[in-house]
Amino acid sequence: MDLLLDPLRNGITQRALIDLLILGVVCGPLGVWVVLFRQSYSAESMAHSMLPGLVVAALIGAPLGVGAAAGLAVAAATIAIASRQRLVGPDAAVAVAVTTLFGLGTLLALSPQTPLRLGELLFGDPLSVSTADLLASAALALAGLAALAAGHRTLTLGGFDPQSAGNLGAGPGAATWLLLALLALTTLIAVQALGNLLVVAIVIGPAAAALQLCDRLVPALATAAAFAVAAGVAGIYLSYWAELAAGASIAICAVATFGLAAVATSLRGPATRRFLEWSSATE
Amino acid sequence: MIEPFQFPFMQHAALEIALLAPLAGLLGAQIVLRRLAFFTHSVGAASFPGLVIAGPLGIPPALAALGVGGGFAALLERLSKRAGVAADAATALLLVLALAIGIVLASDVFESGASVDQALFGSLLGIGTSELRFSAAALAAALVAALFFRDTWIATGFDAPSARALGLRAATADLVLVVVIAIAVVASLDAVGSLLVSAIFVVPAATVRLFARSLPQLELGAAGLALVEGIGGLLLAYELDAPPGAAIAVLGGAVFAAAALARALTLPAREPATPEAAG
Amino acid sequence: MSAGKGEKLLEVEGLSAGYRPGVAALSDVTFEAPAGSITAVLGPNGGGKTTLFRALLGETPQRSGTVRVNGAVAYVPQTERARLDFPVSALDVARMGTYAATPWWRPSGRAGRERAEAALERVGLADRAGVRFGELSGGQRQRVLIARALAQDARVLLLDEPLSGVDGPSAERILGVLAELREDGHAMLVSTHDIHQARAFDAVVCLHGSQVAFVPPAELTPELLARTYGGEMIVLDGGERAVVVQHHEH
Repeated sequence: MDLLLDPLRNGITQRALIDLLILGVVCGPLGVWVVLFRQSYSAESMAHSMLPGLVVAALIGAPLGVGAAAGLAVAAATIAIASRQRLVGPDAAVAVAVTTLFGLGTLLALSPQTPLRLGELLFGDPLSVSTADLLASAALALAGLAALAAGHRTLTLGGFDPQSAGNLGAGPGAATWLLLALLALTTLIAVQALGNLLVVAIVIGPAAAALQLCDRLVPALATAAAFAVAAGVAGIYLSYWAELAAGASIAICAVATFGLAAVATSLRGPATRRFLEWSSATE
Repeated sequence: MIEPFQFPFMQHAALEIALLAPLAGLLGAQIVLRRLAFFTHSVGAASFPGLVIAGPLGIPPALAALGVGGGFAALLERLSKRAGVAADAATALLLVLALAIGIVLASDVFESGASVDQALFGSLLGIGTSELRFSAAALAAALVAALFFRDTWIATGFDAPSARALGLRAATADLVLVVVIAIAVVASLDAVGSLLVSAIFVVPAATVRLFARSLPQLELGAAGLALVEGIGGLLLAYELDAPPGAAIAVLGGAVFAAAALARALTLPAREPATPEAAG
Repeated sequence: MSAGKGEKLLEVEGLSAGYRPGVAALSDVTFEAPAGSITAVLGPNGGGKTTLFRALLGETPQRSGTVRVNGAVAYVPQTERARLDFPVSALDVARMGTYAATPWWRPSGRAGRERAEAALERVGLADRAGVRFGELSGGQRQRVLIARALAQDARVLLLDEPLSGVDGPSAERILGVLAELREDGHAMLVSTHDIHQARAFDAVVCLHGSQVAFVPPAELTPELLARTYGGEMIVLDGGERAVVVQHHEH
């Protein structure tokens, strides 16, 4: 019992656990859309590309949150433009954008004038979260959840059948913009805990796991949220017991949810297939 | 301009760039045309834990990175065959898993400290004769592969279903292409680091793609541009005392931005790829 | 739904449309579609079938001419344009047709659900409502997409090659659904390459960049087909069957 309760007795891990709870509730469902829209590369790039914003904020002594927000605004706009590039291909264009911005951030961070630890920005630390950070995260997460609910139909139409989306009442391209804006928002919430290299784990891992197990949208969104919260909590405990880097522990747990779901589906796979053959034969 | 190249480490670095540039042309063209940019980036990032364990365990870094990168590619291949997992999501998951394992190894197991930055972003000082030999071998492997399979790569890139119908060769050619890219990426790690391999293999080819009208133009142009940007990046890194990967990336991005602007201003827009074309 | 046969649901006069200013992908289109009719839209790839549909939906800039529509227009895409791996059931897809009618801040609720269920019933798929869209057969998926258009309460339906890639019995069922909708008083435009099929409909619009003809199917002569398709067609059996040479465009 002590193993479970120990981390709850100190404020640092308490705050970290609450932060991961907030994170998971919004990152999980968003991830389902990211995976369905095939935007995993954009999600990964978004986090990498905010580095110059973080570094500049650290250099001039501005709050990291402000730097992150500015960096993400630039990153989201650049990626949105790049992913519409037809001439060089969207993936190559995103690669150019993220490589340039990430390189710029590294140059700024590693130049000798800056006594800055690049590692913290890259890998994050959920144990550094303050109460004020928590309040900001909670407010942003609420806004993100509201946007996800409001945009649910737009995302459904744009993801299922973009050709007909306009006729069914969703603006063309609206879904992609909404998705990138929400990615920017959740990255902003998650970056302090997970750092810009690992944010993508909590977005994609639980979502890919949920999509393995659920074949309807709403259950998949709810399952992804639950998995993301579980991965966050498990990661904090793992890092506490095994004394591992906390951000990395959470990332490993988030990917592990996918691994477990994949194993579970391959175990139940044959049975499911037999059932489907049987039910379609009886039609 | 010439003065920094009097130092042996700068000569090594320049030679390394000269070996990587033809790879950037030959493979960069395929990466851009075949939409392999995310894969290329992920192989680089995935080799990070290999670089972390190489030092403490006394294995040559290239060998360790190649081992991890190979395992990554094999796992990705298996995952992408599963129904219900999108290739890009699988790539992102394995990539972030490799980074997280690398971080745990670096910070909690081996306490690697400063060498982490070197593994992630490359180093001017990290290029010795063994690294150069590995890059030369990678170049030779890529050239031999291209000799046998370049025609199939082109055919598959143009019209995959028809090329597959031609037989098994397309599958073999794809596998060879992926393996050669993985080897080339590992060869570039000492110069540009795990996180910025796109600076060599994607950015120059994407820039030249704005203007190139044929595959040979794209290949030669990308190789030339990679050489110029690589050498320029080395000088910039030397001046700023910064990692070369970051310098090459920023230079390449600036050149791409200028080229895209120039293209938009001078040439009329090409036909948009609207749904019209399918009608 | 009242039949109201003979009432004109769609009137198009001198329509020109296209994405680029000054260059019309389609010009001089004039035809009308009354309630309770099926009109075939014939023409080679790139001949303007897609542009016509997009223009009628208001998604391609209309350069000149007039389009008068009585009621709403709904679009039924080819099934392979929809994502088979998307986690939605047949009923979920039909409900998408009710989204536009409900403001985004209000849940689509019972009324929308009932409309979607009725639409599935109409196409004979009420018993498959809970099945994942990707697990249905090609013909069933096409009928689900027709149900989605019905849930939009549209009287004019634009169907994009609804029979392509569908096996014989499934095609018959889809045609049966279209015939019932004709009885209900819908006006349908069906783009197709199947000339034999077009002869069974009420009218034919032939497009080749501009309108070649708007005729009853009986007047679909080999000469007219040759003018519509240019050199892309081989006519067999004295005009009863035609093979269209498909061009892949990249």
